[in-house]
Amino acid sequence: MKTQSLVRRATPFVGIAAVFAVAAATGAAELLAFPLFLVVVISSALFDDRAQLLTVGAAASLAVLILSVIHLGPTSNLATAVFEVAVLAIVAGSVHEVVRHVRAAEGSAERKAVELESDDARLHMVMEAATIGLGVVAHDGRWLQANERLAAILGRGKGELTQVGLLDVTAAGDRHAVEDALGQLSRGEIVRWESEVEQTSPHGRPIPVSLAIAALSDQSNEPLLVQVTDISARKRLDAMRDALVAVRQVIVTANSWDQGAGAVLGSLCTHLDWDLAQYWSVDAEKHILHLRSSWRGDDSNIGDLDDPSRNLSIEAGGGLVGRVWQSGIASALDDLAANDYEQASAERRVGLRSAVAFPVVSGGSVIGVSELLGGEVRHIDNDLVTMLSTEGVEIGQFIHRAETAQALLRSEADHRAIYERSPIGIARVSSDGELLEGNPSLLHMLEHDMETMRSQVWPDLLRAYDQAAGRARLAPMLAGITDQRSVQVRAATGGGRWLWLQLTATSIPDTSGRPEHVLVMVEDVTTVRETQDKLAEALDSQRGANTTLEKLDRTKTEFLSIVSHEFRTALTGIQGFSELIRDGGLESDEVRAYGGYIFNDADRVNRLIGDMLDLDRMESGRMSIRLADVDINEVVSDVMTRAASSSSVVVEFKADFDPRLPTVTGDRDRLVQVVSNLVNNAVKYSPDGGTVTLSTRADGRFVLVSVADTGLGIPADEIAHVFERFRRVRSGAAQSIPGTGLGLTIVKQIVEMHGGKIWVESAVGHGSAFHFTIPLAAETATPSQRRHA
Amino acid sequence: MVLVADDNEVAQRLCRRVLEKAGYGVLIASDGLQAVDLALAQNPNVILMDVAMPGMDGLEAMRRIKAERPEMRVVIASAHSMASDRERFLAAGADDVLSKPFRLGDLVAVVAKLTAKPSS
Repeated sequence: MKTQSLVRRATPFVGIAAVFAVAAATGAAELLAFPLFLVVVISSALFDDRAQLLTVGAAASLAVLILSVIHLGPTSNLATAVFEVAVLAIVAGSVHEVVRHVRAAEGSAERKAVELESDDARLHMVMEAATIGLGVVAHDGRWLQANERLAAILGRGKGELTQVGLLDVTAAGDRHAVEDALGQLSRGEIVRWESEVEQTSPHGRPIPVSLAIAALSDQSNEPLLVQVTDISARKRLDAMRDALVAVRQVIVTANSWDQGAGAVLGSLCTHLDWDLAQYWSVDAEKHILHLRSSWRGDDSNIGDLDDPSRNLSIEAGGGLVGRVWQSGIASALDDLAANDYEQASAERRVGLRSAVAFPVVSGGSVIGVSELLGGEVRHIDNDLVTMLSTEGVEIGQFIHRAETAQALLRSEADHRAIYERSPIGIARVSSDGELLEGNPSLLHMLEHDMETMRSQVWPDLLRAYDQAAGRARLAPMLAGITDQRSVQVRAATGGGRWLWLQLTATSIPDTSGRPEHVLVMVEDVTTVRETQDKLAEALDSQRGANTTLEKLDRTKTEFLSIVSHEFRTALTGIQGFSELIRDGGLESDEVRAYGGYIFNDADRVNRLIGDMLDLDRMESGRMSIRLADVDINEVVSDVMTRAASSSSVVVEFKADFDPRLPTVTGDRDRLVQVVSNLVNNAVKYSPDGGTVTLSTRADGRFVLVSVADTGLGIPADEIAHVFERFRRVRSGAAQSIPGTGLGLTIVKQIVEMHGGKIWVESAVGHGSAFHFTIPLAAETATPSQRRHA
Repeated sequence: MVLVADDNEVAQRLCRRVLEKAGYGVLIASDGLQAVDLALAQNPNVILMDVAMPGMDGLEAMRRIKAERPEMRVVIASAHSMASDRERFLAAGADDVLSKPFRLGDLVAVVAKLTAKPSS
């Protein structure tokens, strides 16, 4: 081809060169040369090669010009040469145009024939190679042509397809729309129609497809191109996504698995095209699975599976569900008939044919198994199994969350119950001390409603707390809530009772740990407190009683010791002298003297016994005084007269009586006893004589009686003790003065029984003055005396 | 010679009468201080000492006397006659204890015993 082309291209130049050579040599061939050049150029122009033609034309023109210069002279023949060149150019151009046009017309016709021949094959090829289903239908929907893919999508052989129409395999729901579209397309109203429709497999299984129908030409009643894309994979993914979304929606709104289980299982079934679902829960203690939830479609032809399942315990590894539990891996059975285990046969009995089960996982362990069951045998792809495994984790998390939430709710409810029913008052207080909430116990305890509680009682209580805390050196409530120490305060109830309340504050931190509010426990400790107080009082008085008893005991021992000493001292003389007399051999004056001693001591013992009995009766309250109007002046002067007449001691008596002295109410004999005792003492303690002055006078509502002597006097440290029993001044000259040591004690008792007082003024060497008072008659009827009446 | 120290006149008279009859010379003291003075001045063989006396009591008097004359015999004659008292007196240094009221024979016997001792 290449050589041929070269030859063809070189030939014109060779021709031109040959003509030029001959003409130049002979000079005669000039006239012949031009026609030859013309022939070469025209022949060149016959080829559709413009570059070649231009080059050949240029060469020929150059040859014409050179020849004219060589042979004819430059002036006359140059014009001829130019003319010849122009003729060459015009002829060559014209011929070229004609040739090109003819050639073009010829080429177009040829090409068209070729193209028309290959279109059919190409279309067929394209159709078969397409990854989508392509076909051609007549206007009535009859298949005229279909590719393999289309047949595969529709689940039928190509030949089988031609026997059914597009409308026949379109699902009933979509048939009308497709029919409409075909009509519009055939009438040329639209050129293209597209929709997602369902086709039906020979087994009646719906096949989701994207269907596009287009007119092949502008003319009506031409066949229509049909494009079918299998969108079942996409649909399946969509269904899975929808299922996930639906389940998630249930999970978000449900509070517990038991509440949401139906909706979750129902969503899975609806979206993933299953008829029944069960959830088997792991019983961790018994190591079995038992049915916890189930769902069954309303319009399902499937029978009830709950009844046969309810009492079934599935062990690990038993059946599909048991295997999934054991392995923790989702698993499917395309055809239940190929499997024989207890639950499978139950499932088959109610019309189920396929199943997929997936573990519900929480915290890394299987807490349950969910099973989806369908009424027909099906191919269960891995995508679904994978998706359900994911779902199992999600459901597991939900169950865990829900159970935690339930537990929280329960504990919240528990706390609420504690709060509501606690016998302890509980107050929730804001950080600035305001009462936010008070439980029924608090309100009941303080007998106030919430409003009064909040506005009046609580602020008072808070103040009381702070005051009490201040006394106890604790921080105020809101500042010291961390130390949790209790403070007891006094508070009045709405009913006016006073309570002791024990307040204990605790801070409740918010999530950041800052104290958000304060919880104050309010306990009524009134009873406790009162009991404590009573106990303390009782203990105190017990302690006091013990002290008194101890003192009494000591006093008694002392008393016995003193009394026995007094008696034995008196008895020494009595026993000794009477022994002397008994043994005889005494002078008569000796006997008389000893008898005197014996008599005196016996008399002393007698007085001692009398005094002791008196005192005992007075102190035990058993002595009665016989009240009558008494003239004190008469009593005092009587005693004075007797003392003056009987006394062997030389003392001078002086009387200083108030002549207008009112009468008193008293026991005359006892008052005589008082005055004579004082007078006897005055005489006894004036061993060297002196003056005993007896005086009476009214002193307000009392009569004041004084017995003053100028005798030995009482040492300062003894004055405070002279009225105590057996306390006798025995120092110096007073030592030999006899006495029972009970006289002044008795005197004091008698005066006090009359409601009076007795006291002494004394100085050693200057004498003593005893004073006592007795209430006037009008005043004598006081309780203290009536007691003794 | 016996020194009788007692604030009770009846007791003084009784002891003087009984002891003189038994052949002893009798000195009388009415309180503790007097007893100490007489004891140290007169060197009696035995002292019959009461306890409850005004001023200085018998035990204190005995202590003072014994401090000066350890050989001097002292009989505590007291109406404090509980068992514990006897122990108390002996512990305080008494040579013997005579409880009041006493049998006259006991008084003579106790004095005789103590006066006999140094000479025997």
